[in-house]
Amino acid sequence: MKIYKIALLFLVLISTISCKKFLDIKSQSEQDEDEVFTTVDGLRNARIGMYSSLQSRDYYGGVYPLLAEAYSDNGSTGGYDVSDLDSIKNRNVIPNNLYIKGISVAIYHSIYTANKILENADKIAGVDETELKNIKGEAYFVRALAEFDLLRMFGQHWDLTSPYGISIKTTTANPTQIIARSSVQATYNQIIDDLKQAESLNIVNKEPFKCQYVSSYAIKALLARVYLYTKDFEKASAYASEVIANSVDFVLLGSSNLDKIYTTKNTKESIFELKFTSQNQSFYNGFTYSRSDALRSDVQFLASENLKTFFESRTNDFRANFVDYVDVDVSIQPDGRTQKYRGEETRDNAAYILRLAEMYLIRAEALGLAGGGLTDLNLIRENRGMAPILIADVPDNAAFAQAIADERRAELNFESSRLFDLARTQTVESVLGASVNPIMPIPLNDIMLGNGIIKQNPGY
Amino acid sequence: MNNFLRITLYASCILLGIYSTAFAQDRVLKGTVKDAKGETVPGASVLQKGTTKGASTNLDGNFTITLNGPNPEIVISSIGYATKIIKITNETALVVILQESSSMLNDVVVVGYGTQKKSSITGAISSIGNKDFKDQPVANLAQSIQGKVAGILVSTPSGTPGAGLLVSVRGASNPLYVVDGIPMISESNSSLATSYTTDGTVNGKGQNISSIADINPDDIQSMEILKDASAAAIYGARAANGVVLITTKRGLNGKTEFSFDSYTGMQNVSRKIPFLDSNGFVELQEDARAQDLRKYNQDPTVFGADFDPSVLTNPLPASWRTGVNTNWLNEVFQSAPINNMQISARGGSEKTKFFVSGNYFNQQGIVIENFYKRASFRFNLENKVSDRVTIGTNSSFTYGRTRRSFNDNTYTGVVTNAIGASPLMPVYNPDGSYADYSNYQASWLSDNPVKSAKEIKAFTNNYRFLGSVFAEIALVKDLKFRSSFSTDYSSVLDDQFFSPITSDAVAVSGKALKGSYNSLTWVNENILTLQKTFNEVHSLNLLGGFTAQASQYEKSSVSAQGFPKGSGLSNLSSASTINYAPSDVFGWGLASFLGRANYAYDDKYLLSVSARYDGSSRFAPGNQWGLFPAMSAGWVISKENFLAQSQVLTNLKLRFSYGLSGDQEIGDFQYKSYWKPSRYDGIPGLQPRNTGNLNLTWQRNTMLNAGIDFELYNGKLSGSIEAFKGNRTRLLNQAPLPSTSGFNDYTKNSGNIENSGIEFSLGATPIKTNDFTWASNFNISYIRSKIISLDSDNQLISPYTDLFNTHILKVGEQVGSFYGYKFLGVNTQTGDPMYSDEQQILGKATPDYFGGWSNNFKYKAWDLAVATQFSIGNQVYNLIRATYQTLGYTDGGLDEFNNLQQVYANNATIVNKRWRNPGDVTDIPRASMMTDQYRQASSQFIEDASFLRIRTVSFGYTIKPKSKKSFSSLRLYAEAQNLYTFTKYYGFDPDVSSTGGGSPSTAGIDYAAYPQARTFLFGINFKF
Repeated sequence: MKIYKIALLFLVLISTISCKKFLDIKSQSEQDEDEVFTTVDGLRNARIGMYSSLQSRDYYGGVYPLLAEAYSDNGSTGGYDVSDLDSIKNRNVIPNNLYIKGISVAIYHSIYTANKILENADKIAGVDETELKNIKGEAYFVRALAEFDLLRMFGQHWDLTSPYGISIKTTTANPTQIIARSSVQATYNQIIDDLKQAESLNIVNKEPFKCQYVSSYAIKALLARVYLYTKDFEKASAYASEVIANSVDFVLLGSSNLDKIYTTKNTKESIFELKFTSQNQSFYNGFTYSRSDALRSDVQFLASENLKTFFESRTNDFRANFVDYVDVDVSIQPDGRTQKYRGEETRDNAAYILRLAEMYLIRAEALGLAGGGLTDLNLIRENRGMAPILIADVPDNAAFAQAIADERRAELNFESSRLFDLARTQTVESVLGASVNPIMPIPLNDIMLGNGIIKQNPGY
Repeated sequence: MNNFLRITLYASCILLGIYSTAFAQDRVLKGTVKDAKGETVPGASVLQKGTTKGASTNLDGNFTITLNGPNPEIVISSIGYATKIIKITNETALVVILQESSSMLNDVVVVGYGTQKKSSITGAISSIGNKDFKDQPVANLAQSIQGKVAGILVSTPSGTPGAGLLVSVRGASNPLYVVDGIPMISESNSSLATSYTTDGTVNGKGQNISSIADINPDDIQSMEILKDASAAAIYGARAANGVVLITTKRGLNGKTEFSFDSYTGMQNVSRKIPFLDSNGFVELQEDARAQDLRKYNQDPTVFGADFDPSVLTNPLPASWRTGVNTNWLNEVFQSAPINNMQISARGGSEKTKFFVSGNYFNQQGIVIENFYKRASFRFNLENKVSDRVTIGTNSSFTYGRTRRSFNDNTYTGVVTNAIGASPLMPVYNPDGSYADYSNYQASWLSDNPVKSAKEIKAFTNNYRFLGSVFAEIALVKDLKFRSSFSTDYSSVLDDQFFSPITSDAVAVSGKALKGSYNSLTWVNENILTLQKTFNEVHSLNLLGGFTAQASQYEKSSVSAQGFPKGSGLSNLSSASTINYAPSDVFGWGLASFLGRANYAYDDKYLLSVSARYDGSSRFAPGNQWGLFPAMSAGWVISKENFLAQSQVLTNLKLRFSYGLSGDQEIGDFQYKSYWKPSRYDGIPGLQPRNTGNLNLTWQRNTMLNAGIDFELYNGKLSGSIEAFKGNRTRLLNQAPLPSTSGFNDYTKNSGNIENSGIEFSLGATPIKTNDFTWASNFNISYIRSKIISLDSDNQLISPYTDLFNTHILKVGEQVGSFYGYKFLGVNTQTGDPMYSDEQQILGKATPDYFGGWSNNFKYKAWDLAVATQFSIGNQVYNLIRATYQTLGYTDGGLDEFNNLQQVYANNATIVNKRWRNPGDVTDIPRASMMTDQYRQASSQFIEDASFLRIRTVSFGYTIKPKSKKSFSSLRLYAEAQNLYTFTKYYGFDPDVSSTGGGSPSTAGIDYAAYPQARTFLFGINFKF
């Protein structure tokens, strides 16, 4: 009867093996979301993750600013004749464009991360009050920046009366929820609310100043930009002035050092930039330069011939050196490449989100010709090697506006400004052409899921 | 759960009690089994009727069996012979003569956790035995069933040596493979991407290597494909896409038989795309300019107001007259040898049986520099410890090494670049260095294709151990207990190096990737089987068991750049920078209870009921457990009185089955929201990875199957007709999310796909004489996978992140439908292409009908086999054709003096059919340098890819000596594989998928996939 015993033993044995043990398997290389926000360290980890989310390929890792540029008169696209990329340079994007969808999801991903922090930060015991305020302030800033970037790309941001704002998401609950688009005014209200919240939390800046983190100045600088978009010139210039007033941390480098902005990190020209490293690379170099003898097919986002013509008319503008039309393959000609993102070996080019020069240009524009805006404009011009504009050269507001637009183009090309400036000043039609839509379509996926609740932009 | 176990336990005890009656006195019978010609029959089964007592004959046809009870009867059966039943009175020695038969009714078929006679099968199971493929060697076991089994579509996404084949069972891809009872990890585990975008991000899946290739096809005894839910449901959890059971060879009782099998051959590209030579390339360009000039003369503003027409008339620069005429396909393709060598021994005694084998396989790629090598060993052993206890092991070890070509299937690959390269460009400069592609006419290239092939080195080594130990105990009469413990261990090491002279790595002076993958899966199975016949007619087979399985795997890789120039070093420690080093650990577990009851009344009425209760770690507590029941019934009409005497219709069986199986293949850790490691400014942190879904649970696949099996004239003609309707509900899908969620999608049970179809297979032996045999097998299947519901309708999808949407998921349409603009032909007056305004569904990747026809002839010692395969109604989105049908277009490439330096790419000779003059009727538009006369996202490049392929032709001669003292048999043969393909498809091969084909919803894309080879080989099979 030995066999009975063995069999019985075996059956008893297997019945004691707990099924639970097999079935309760957790990831060892990731952390359960519920556990992230239980400790101070977890909150800090999430904060780093929030910065990292801004670095995604489709957002400030490269695609967002470069695609906007390629759609404007500053840029063009190369690549392997891919229709979704070609349609950027041809300015006839369709709603199922893969790049557009990628951008939209990536930006909301940053919002999700910020929302998660805002929802949980106060619940964690034992966080130092200053640190808590800092982290919350950073999260509000990131959310505002993301909302604003969405609005610039997908909403009629130039028209406060327009119903075509963005879908505002301020919670992480219910991912499947379909959210109707807010009006442009409501979207701006949300953005400004978030920035005001951030401002009121009195972020304590790092000593010495580190532009790779959100600072009290980054918040003010973004407020200045947002108010400029809403045409609240008084506030725009006030906030720009607050930033400019910090002459310790922010200094214009001057034409002889100008290239340092793009070749070294953390210069005094930067108010907020995302720092990349060779272990955490950005896509700017691969997208815009690739390697010295790259063909057109190797480079996705090119500098247009139009930008070359533009710089040819600007005597002594040092910034013309940042565009290369000579040392490019014949397949790229007559287009060229931007040189703001060189460093083929390290590929750790920063994302330049807020710079001091823009503050001067915001203030110049906000003050206007009558308010003495020319001073700030000329300050930038002279710093970049050019002669000042004489008052006689800008007889009227239109001429001044053109001078501002040109200066912004010269300064901020390939730093996600041109397309939005054209839309903001309603010059898309005259510059890019009559049939060009100033904004991108809402991704088809959202329209389909939105089932009538999410409205497509006019013209798509 | 514990209740269930307790019940199992009690039930087992009761069963043990019932059968503890004493055994009657035993007696020993010896005998020899021979065929009609007097030759001995080894491996025949000898059973005492109504018991499980049995033996099998050794190589000399001898057997010994212990009988008990009064008036015993023995049943002698062997594949290919009619079964014989003999009453034993008082003989102690016996000579049994078996008559040959074509009937397959007595063939033993492996089913889940057991075996069954073919005649008593009630589910849809296709079986293919060693005899069906032993004379036609293949590199990958899936090729053995290609075109041979109804309902199974085996396609070859890539001709890469060692590449995976795509197996689809009744429209569902990636079945579960079970090798000798071990459920096997079957996906590609290499972390080495071979497909990148121009900025260096991994894009698409690239080419797979198959871990199924670790199984040496020469070791296989039989393969069974469980097609319907009733047959597969015993594998519950992972059976949703069908199950392929692989049984390797076992030892035999008798003198040890050695076998030496070897072949050697040459492979070539089976079909090449014909490209323009230098003259044709220049002529196309001149025509393109002439056409544009004509346009310009009609309307000087047609190319813009400030267009300078000199570009259309300036003589082509000197670089267009180099006198070079390179055929790039010839430069990257080669005639490649293929070799296989196997030595095996099988033998044993009544007590111990064994099979050992060693194999070496070496396949060079038809693209230069590629290869796949495999060395494998197998050891299968069985020992009868006592009358009641048998123990044994089945184990194999495989070492594989591949070198894959970089980036086939996408932009910058070897084949992809060769397709666009200018014929005016030489391979090498006069000084022997590689020609710089950027100095020549085609801007499509990303590097000199030959340079890419030679200077980018991507090796993968893999080590695989598959092994199990088992014990089988006859607890009491008729009741068997089998317990086994198995492991599947796999280690994959990737080693990729880009030389600093390649354009991919010139900027960073070389880059390298080292990857490693380690996985360990273990399975414990405990099965009780009861086999009992009551009153001669009631036959009952009960099975119950418990199994547990867990798997853990770790995937990591290190990327580095900056290697000392000229040093030739590529080890990581010589790199200047380590760029990233992802490392992840995954794991899952599965616990299952299973049971099955088969009942047969007089072998006439058959009934089978089974159930499996599975718990998976991939779902949240509360949703982990799923019950998967199935039932099937059969009626053997030919056993009814009115047919029993028929000499014509010797078997007719109706079958019916219905069952439910499940699917958990969503990857690990999906039900919870997780935050993954990330970093910023040198500080580690965490960032959201997914949005979890606690409601996730088993996908449910039901299938209704009705079948008829018939045999005429004792198997001279036999066949089956099957009709099925499957319903896959609660599909485990990536459901799209609104952007506001911050995620593209999440895993969700949603949607419903209906698979339905009809399968027909026919086997016939039209001629069978002593000297000449002709056997023929034909099968055809019609399968349709229709989308019934979706989480969100009209989902546009793409296999590539930087192309455009190529497919659509739409309710009412088939899975794998293409989407884009419709090409409306060429305007006969202007020569311009015309397209629809709106995007629409343009076709589908799946065939309407597919199947195969094979014929085997034997004349005396000669044998000839011809196997074909066909597919009708499938289409391919030939994306790469947009490159070789650019018709002279250039998107740049003019120097400052308006001389044309570069165009987009060279073209295939199909452009010779282009429109040239008003009135021409053709579907190839006019040539143009200024405007692109093609649209990638259009049906212009969706082609009919129906085909008929002559897969194998083998011709052999067998020598069998009169005396078996020296050797037992020697067969010499010659074989051609993939001899010819009849198709209208213009690319390399209509049976293609550049995306690896893993996802049926984005199937059928051709982005210059690695072409398939035509192979000629010679071989011997030597037994001694």
